[in-house]
Amino acid sequence: MIRLTIDGQEVTVPEGTMIVDAAARLGIDVPVYCYHQALGPLGACRMCLVQVEKMPKLVTGCTTAVTEGMVVHTQGEAVEKGRKGVLEFLLINHPLDCPVCDKGGECYLQDYTFEYGPGRGRFQEPKIQKVKNGPINDLVLIDQERCVLCQRCVRFMGEYVGEPHLLLEGRGVETVVTTVEHQPATSQFTGNVIDLCPVGALLSAPYYHKGRPWNIERHSTICPHCPVGCSSLATTRESHIIRMEGRPVPDRDWGWLCDRGRFGYDFGYHPERITDSWVQQKTTSAAQATRDVAEWMQRTLTQYGSGSIGFVLGGHFTAEEAHLLRRFAHDVAHTDHIAMVRDVKGYLPLSLNGTFEDVAQADAVIFVGVDPYEAVPVVHLKLRDRLHHFPQLQVMGVGPRRLTRETMPGQDYLIDAEDEAIFFAKALASRLPNDSRVQALIASIQDYSLPVSDADLEVFGQKLLDAQHLTLLWDGENSDMATVLSVLADVRENPTAVLPTFGPVNWRGYEQAGIDPQYAAVEDLLTKVRNGDIHMLVLWGADLLREFPDRKLAQQALEKADYVVSAQVVPPLDMPYIDALLPVATWGEVEGTYVNMEGRLSIGAAGVQPPGQARPTRSYVVNWARLFRQEWQDDAWDVFDNAEGDVLIRADAAVASEITLTRPATKPADGVWTVIQGAWVVENGLPSEILEPRETEFVGRISPDDAARLQIGAEGGYVQAQTSEGSVLIAVRPDPAIMEHTLWIPRGSRHDWAQHLEGVLTLMRPEEVPSV
Amino acid sequence: MSQKYYLLRNREIPNIDQMAVYQSHGGYEALKKALNEYKPEELVDLVKKSGLRGRGGAGFPTGMKWGFLPNDGRKRYLVVNSDEAEPGTYKDREIIEQNPHQLIEGIIISSYATKAREAYIYCRGEFLFGAEQLQRAVAEAYAAGYLGENILGSGFSVDLKVYRGAGAYICGEESALLESLEGRRGNPRLKPPFPAVAGLYGGPTVVNNVETITNVPAIVTYGADWYTSMGTAKSPGLKIFSVSGRVVRPDNYEIPLATPLRTLIDDYAGGVLPGRRIKAVIPGGSSVPLLLPDKLDTPLDYESVLQAGSMLGSGGCIVLDDSVCIVGATARLVKFYREESCGKCTPCREGTYWMTDVLERIEHGLGTEEDLDTLMDIADNIGGKCFCPLGDASLGVLVSAMKFFRDEFEAHVREHACPMGAKLYDTVNH
Amino acid sequence: MKPEWKEWAREFKEQYPGANSALMPLLHRIQAHEGWLSDETIHDVATLFDLPESYVESVASFYSLFYRHKVGKNVVHVCVGLSCALAGSDHLMEKLEHHLGIKEGQTTADGEYTLLEAECLAACNAAPVAQVNLRYFERVDLERPEETLLGTSSEKEVTP
Ligand SMILES: Cc1cc2nc3c(=O)[nH]c(=O)nc-3n(C[C@H](O)[C@H](O)[C@H](O)COP(=O)(O)O)c2cc1C
Ligand code: SF4
Ligand code: FES
Repeated sequence: MIRLTIDGQEVTVPEGTMIVDAAARLGIDVPVYCYHQALGPLGACRMCLVQVEKMPKLVTGCTTAVTEGMVVHTQGEAVEKGRKGVLEFLLINHPLDCPVCDKGGECYLQDYTFEYGPGRGRFQEPKIQKVKNGPINDLVLIDQERCVLCQRCVRFMGEYVGEPHLLLEGRGVETVVTTVEHQPATSQFTGNVIDLCPVGALLSAPYYHKGRPWNIERHSTICPHCPVGCSSLATTRESHIIRMEGRPVPDRDWGWLCDRGRFGYDFGYHPERITDSWVQQKTTSAAQATRDVAEWMQRTLTQYGSGSIGFVLGGHFTAEEAHLLRRFAHDVAHTDHIAMVRDVKGYLPLSLNGTFEDVAQADAVIFVGVDPYEAVPVVHLKLRDRLHHFPQLQVMGVGPRRLTRETMPGQDYLIDAEDEAIFFAKALASRLPNDSRVQALIASIQDYSLPVSDADLEVFGQKLLDAQHLTLLWDGENSDMATVLSVLADVRENPTAVLPTFGPVNWRGYEQAGIDPQYAAVEDLLTKVRNGDIHMLVLWGADLLREFPDRKLAQQALEKADYVVSAQVVPPLDMPYIDALLPVATWGEVEGTYVNMEGRLSIGAAGVQPPGQARPTRSYVVNWARLFRQEWQDDAWDVFDNAEGDVLIRADAAVASEITLTRPATKPADGVWTVIQGAWVVENGLPSEILEPRETEFVGRISPDDAARLQIGAEGGYVQAQTSEGSVLIAVRPDPAIMEHTLWIPRGSRHDWAQHLEGVLTLMRPEEVPSV
Repeated sequence: MSQKYYLLRNREIPNIDQMAVYQSHGGYEALKKALNEYKPEELVDLVKKSGLRGRGGAGFPTGMKWGFLPNDGRKRYLVVNSDEAEPGTYKDREIIEQNPHQLIEGIIISSYATKAREAYIYCRGEFLFGAEQLQRAVAEAYAAGYLGENILGSGFSVDLKVYRGAGAYICGEESALLESLEGRRGNPRLKPPFPAVAGLYGGPTVVNNVETITNVPAIVTYGADWYTSMGTAKSPGLKIFSVSGRVVRPDNYEIPLATPLRTLIDDYAGGVLPGRRIKAVIPGGSSVPLLLPDKLDTPLDYESVLQAGSMLGSGGCIVLDDSVCIVGATARLVKFYREESCGKCTPCREGTYWMTDVLERIEHGLGTEEDLDTLMDIADNIGGKCFCPLGDASLGVLVSAMKFFRDEFEAHVREHACPMGAKLYDTVNH
Repeated sequence: MKPEWKEWAREFKEQYPGANSALMPLLHRIQAHEGWLSDETIHDVATLFDLPESYVESVASFYSLFYRHKVGKNVVHVCVGLSCALAGSDHLMEKLEHHLGIKEGQTTADGEYTLLEAECLAACNAAPVAQVNLRYFERVDLERPEETLLGTSSEKEVTP
C-alpha cells in the first residue's frame, strides 16, 4: 500500500493506483475524458493535469502512478490554467451545438467547460468539417465533429470487447472515429460507446432528439432481458421509456449493457402489447374480466374444493408479486398448486450459487452447455475483464457445441448434453478413484462409455482439482449436473462457484417468495391438470407452449382444464386454449425486487404507467380477494430479510444424500439430426421494434459444412426439415460453433417453427422436397 | 577547406558505398578489432569514455544508454533511427546513401557491445534510394560474413534488417518508431517503461541515431582519447551540421563540436548571399529556438548552445537573412508540426492547428493585436502539456520569434499586410 | 487478391519475429505494384495476416505515403519545408499546378500525375527539391520545372 497526500488529505491506496483514482477515493474529482478505469491509462486528452510536488511540469493524473509520500495538488493556478487550455483546445473544432445535442446537460465537455473552461471563445478560424450523424449501425450514430478523440469507444470495442468494429482513421487533426469500411458495426456491445463517449459524438439512434435533460426522468433499475439483470438507468418521458443506459456500481460493475438490453426496452409498448382483456374471444374491460375470472375461480372451488386451481408463474414479475400470488393462491384460492414455468430441468441449490466476484477471481472457468456471449452477454464482458487482468485464465467448454470463441479462447470438450454430468463424474473418478463420494457418483455409469479418451478425462479431471478458484456457468440442461456440482465443490479444497444462466429471469426471486422452482413441480402440476385433478389453470406470465419443453403435456393440460386464464404482456402461443387473457403490468411499470443469477437483489423501478387496461398483479389479486369477500391485508414479508447486504444468504453446502447419476437412454440411430437448444438473449421472446433492423430470421444454426452442402450462404437461408411429425420450413445459418449433423435452435424463440422441433430426420433444400 | 573525414568519408573516397571500396580503405577493420580485442562490457566502457552523445537530438550519452539495459536474459534489440525528418536536417540521409557500410559496421559493433541479437534500421519512407543502398550494403555484409551467425568466427551473431517507414515524422520519436516497427499506427508510447526495459516486441531495446552509430567504428579505430581530443569535456567529438537556408554553400559539414557558429556559417557555408545580413539562425533543427546574430560566436556544443538560449538538437542549421519574413518562416515551421502531429493528444493536435491558422492569418495581414497575445497563450497551453515532445517542438521557433521579432509581427497587424510581400521567396529579388 | 500476395505475406511474416511487423512491408510492396491501396486491398491484407480489417485500415491511414485514394502513375511530391520554401518551392508548386492544370492534392484527368506537398525531404542543401515516385530531383529549375520533373517518365518505385 502507498500513502500520499492529495490536496492536503492523506490517502492510502494499492500500489499501481493512478493519481486520478486515488483522488476519487477522497471524493476529489479530477476531470478526465480519455481515461476509464476499465480501459486503463492512455494519456491522450490531457484533461487530468495535476501538480505533483518536485515535478517540473504538470503531469497527467491518469497515467501517473502514485508513489510513497507523493504530494499532489489538483487545484491551483497552474492546474486551472492547464485545464482551461485543454478545454479550449477541445472546443476549437467542436461545433458548440449543445442546444440541439442529445447529450446537452449530460456532457462532460459542457460540464467541465462550465466549471473550468475559458470564458469566451477566441477561436475565429474555420472549424474542420467532418461527418455529422453518420451511422455506426442502426442503433448508434456518430457526429465526428463533436468527437474529442479520447479513443474510449475504439479501445472499448477493440481491446475490451475484442470486436474491433471501430477504428481511428487518418492522422493528426484530421483523425476520425469510423467503422470498418464504413459498414455498420455488428457487435452486440456497440451501445456501450454511447455511455462511454464523454461528449455528444456517439448517440443513441432511437433516442435521437427524443428527450432533453429537463423533460426526462432517470430511474435506477435493472435490465429484465436475461438473468444477469444488469444495473441500468431507464429514461422516461411522458410515461414512455425512451432510453436505457448502463449504471455503474462502484467497485463492482462497470455498467456495461448488451445491445439487447440497451435497446430492447420497447416491448412494453410494442404494437402487440396486450392492453385489453379477452374473455372467450371477445374484448372486454379489465374490470369485467376480473369479475369473470373471480367467478370461475369460485365456481371451480365450489365444485371441486380446495386444490382445484393451479398457478404457473413466468414472465418478468417481481419477487413481491410472486409472493402476493402465492399468498393469494393459498389464502384465497385455497390451493398450494403453484409453480413456475421452467424450460430446462436443472436446479441449482443456493449454497453453490456464486457471484460475479467469482468470475473476477477465477483462474479457471467452465461453460457447461452455455455460451455466455449468447445467453448472458455481459458476463462475457466480465470474463473478458478477468482475462485482461489474468491472461492465464483457463477457459473450458463442455457441451454439444463449441462454447469458447475467438474473444474468449479456450478448450472445448464436445459432449452430448445428456452426457455432461457423466463426463464430469468420470473425469473426477480418473483422479480420485478412491473417494467414496466420487465412487457413488459413478456407480451406475461405470461402463457407460464416452467419446473422449482416458487421457482427456484425466487432464480435465486434474484441471477440476487444480483450479484455485473454479467458476462454472451452467445452462441447467442436464439436471444431474447439480449432483455432480455439489460433489465437485465438496471434493475440491478451493472455492467452487456456479452461476446458473437459465430462467425465468427472476426465478430466484420467485423461489424466495415460496414458489417451488423445480422442474418437477411444474411438471407435476401440469400432469395433475391433464389427469383432471386440477381444473383451472392460471398462467401468470407463463406461456407453456413456448417455454415448457414437454409440449405434449402442456397441450393436454391446456386442453383439459375447464378454465385457462393467462396474464400476459404479448400474445402467448397458448392463445388458442385461453379462456381469459388479462393485460398485466410488467417491468418498468411496477416497482419491486428482482434476484439475478448471482442471487443479488435489485430494485426494478416503476417509471411509467401500464398502457391501456394493463394493471399490476397486485390490482388483480386485491380485487379478487375483495370479490371473494376477503379483506386483503399486506403481510410483513420482505425478500431482503434473507439477504446479507443485497446478496441472498447461502446456507452451507451439503452434499446431496443421493449421489447417483441417471444413465442416458440409448442414443438415436445415426442419420437422425441432433437438435440442441440454447438460450440466446436476442431471441428470448420479448419483441422489440427498435431491434428489428438487427434481427435475423435465420435463428437456427447448422455447421458450416452442412450449410455448404445445403448451399446456404453466411447470412442464412431456408431449408425444409423432415421430422418424425412432418415437414417444416426452417430458417438457418452457418455457425462454426455447431457440429455437423446438428441443428441448434434458440429456446423460447419468437419464431413459431422453432418451438419443439423434434426428431429431425433430414434437412433439404426447399426445391428438393418431394411433392407430397 | 581541406579536411579529413571520419563520418562522411564518401566525400574523400568515391564509391565507398561499395563493399570492396570500403574494405580497401580499412572498412570492417574496426569490427575485427572490436570482436578480437574487446569484451562487450569493455566496448560499452570505451563508448562511455569517448563521451559520445546521441546525435538524434537529445544528446543523451550513448554509453550510458547502453548501460541501462537490464541483465535479465531477455532477447535484446538495437534499433537505428533513420527517420530523419526534422526540417533542416539531412545528415543521416547522406550517410545511408553514400557511406552505408560505416553505419552497418557501427551497428554490428554496437550490437556486440549491447549483446543485441537482432538489429533494425528504421528508414524514413521517403528515403527510397537510401533504403535501397542500405539493403544492398546489408546483403554485401551478409555475404562477407559480417552479419548473421558466428561473425568472423567470434561466436557473436546478429541479424540486421532494413525497415521502411511510410511518411510520418512522429515515427522519429523512439517509442512511436517502435510502434511503427511493430506494424501499428505511429503513436508514441506511455513511458515508463522506457525502451531499455520494454522496447521492441517488449524486449530490452537500444534506439540510436544513424550518426551516433556511424561514430562507433571511428571511436574503435582511433580510440576514446582521439574522440575526446575534439570538442569540449562534456560535448566531445565530431558532429555533422546540415546548413541550409540563405547561405552560399548549403551543405553537410563534419566538424568538431564547439566550433563557433560563425565559423560554420561563414567559413564552411560561405556566409550569407552578397549584400545580405543574417537575421536569425535556427541552430539545431526546426524544433529549437532562434539565435540572433549576437550569438554567432557561440561554440556549437550542447552546453554552450543551451546557454545561448537554444539547443544543438540534430544540428540542422537554418540561416535566415534579412530578406526573410520571420512571420512567414514561423508559420511554415508551425504548419509542419500541424501536418505531422499524430493526433493522439489534445494540445498538440488542436494547438498546432490553431497556431497555424492564426500565423497564416497574421502573415496575410488579417491578424489583430489580440492574436499576438492569443498565440503566446496557446503556446503556453501547449508547452509541457503534451504526451510527447512533438508538441513542445512546435513552440521553439515561435516563442523565440515572438520574443525577438515582436515588432515584425506587430507590423503585419498594423499594416494589414506582410511588409515583405507574404512570400518566403522572391523571384525578382534573386 | 493477386496470387503472389500470399507468397509475399508469407515471406514477410517469416522475416519478422513478432507483432505485425510484416504489415507495412507488404503494404509497401503491394502499393508499388498496384499504385495505391484500395478498400479491397485492405480487406485482402487483413485476411492474409488474419488481422481485423479495422486494424489494417487504421494503420494504413496513419501514414501519408500509403495512398488510400487512387493516384496518378507518377506521384510528384514538392517539398514545402522551410529551406525549400526559402528557395522558392511555393513558386515551384504554382508552376506545376499551372502546367498540369490541377491543384495540390489532385490527379490529372489522364491519370498520369498526382501532385502532393511533402514535408521537409531532408535535402535542404539542394533546395528546392521534389520527388517523383520517391526519386529525388534536386535544385529544381524554377522557371521550367516541368522539363525535369515531368519530362521523362521517372523510374518506378520498387520496394527494397
Ligand atoms: C518528434 C520527434 C522526432 C524525432 N525524430 C528523430 C529522428 O528523425 N531521428 C533520430 O535519430 N531521432 C529523432 N528523435 C529522437 C529520438 O526520440 C531518440 O531520442 C533518438 O533516436 C535516440 O538516439 P540518439 O541517442 O542516438 O540520439 C525524435 C524525437 C522526437 C520527439
Ligand atoms: S505531442 Fe501528442 S499529438 Fe503530438 S505527436 Fe506527441 S502524442 Fe501525438
Ligand atoms: S484523462 Fe488523463 S490524459 Fe485523458
